[in-house]
Amino acid sequence: MGMTDLTIKTGRLVLRPFEKADLDEVLSYYSLPDVQRYLDWKARDRTEAKSAFEAMRKQTRLSRPGDSLTLAVVRKADGKVVGHVSLRYMDATAAQAEIRFAVGPAFRRKGYGSEAVGAVISHGFAEHKFHRVFARTAGGNEASAQLLKGLGMRLEAHYREHALFQGEWDEELHFAILDREWQRGAKVSEISRHKVA
Amino acid sequence: MSQVPLPITTLFAPDYPIMTDRLRLRPFSRGDVDAVYSYRSRPDVSEFLFDQPMSHEECAEAVRIRAGQLAFSGEGDKILLAVERQDDGRLIGEVSLIWRSVADRQAELGYILHPDAHGHGYATEAAAALLAFGFDVVGLHRVYARCDAKNLASAKVMQRLGMREEAHFREHAQFKGRWDEEFVYAILESEWRQSR
Repeated sequence: MGMTDLTIKTGRLVLRPFEKADLDEVLSYYSLPDVQRYLDWKARDRTEAKSAFEAMRKQTRLSRPGDSLTLAVVRKADGKVVGHVSLRYMDATAAQAEIRFAVGPAFRRKGYGSEAVGAVISHGFAEHKFHRVFARTAGGNEASAQLLKGLGMRLEAHYREHALFQGEWDEELHFAILDREWQRGAKVSEISRHKVA
Repeated sequence: MSQVPLPITTLFAPDYPIMTDRLRLRPFSRGDVDAVYSYRSRPDVSEFLFDQPMSHEECAEAVRIRAGQLAFSGEGDKILLAVERQDDGRLIGEVSLIWRSVADRQAELGYILHPDAHGHGYATEAAAALLAFGFDVVGLHRVYARCDAKNLASAKVMQRLGMREEAHFREHAQFKGRWDEEFVYAILESEWRQSR
């Protein structure tokens, strides 16, 4: 078939599509409430988390608006799945994409999220010629906000009480960066592809 | 003015006409086409709107649709009112409120004024009356408004209404063949009550 799947390597991480064997590691963080906020599939229990995982495994292409590319974030040192990053193609005429990410609690505060998200943003600008990449976070998620700011993304929106989320008034931040604002090359050491059967 | 007939599905509607210090807000009617054409045909008015300058025929069609936009029956409904100056009875523009979310009690505010009538605070006065309707009658929690980042006059109106800048989107979309830059302003019910 000649299908190629994307692999992105950074200093400490390998980003690649999910594999069947990743399931248990994903289940360990996927259902956590703070992870759930901006994911496509709700996962209140193991069965739901499992079908979410199966759907994410199929997100390997960004051909048209609505497509998502989801990559497992794997630590080189021990092969552990520390989380995942997802890039969604939102709009063709304006070349817009949304980036989302999750890092398992055991792997936080080590800069893995920033390293992985930065690599995927670089990939989006270089390979898919996006004009703008944006990210949303809940107002109270200080760690995510710091991560995005650290990558040079600008705070573009701070919505207050714009919607109810699980019975409470929600606060939402939007961060964005334009192609020309992104410091190319600095964040990815290596981009490679490998054949899959 | 005779009683305005409302759709039987109406949940919320203002008492028409809405009288403010200097203005009268009322539903559109057939005789308003020329007045609407006088500002919606102008390129300087349409520059920051999603619409292009409108022909007389398009204005007639718009007025026909607007005549029915006078009450909220459900999500997505729009109340779009003619803004008339009391002293000379001239129709100087339009003001609107769209019920964006019933469950989250959110609405979007909009206003367009004839350039001749700019600079007198009419947009602020008319919009404030619709805000009052939204918070007092509909029981909204938050009202937002958007404008092109270059439309400073519109941003000023939002500031005068006590709205906060919540978003400044840069090049997030294509708008009439160029990159769009947009402001979003918003006000919560609690903020609106404090400002009174």
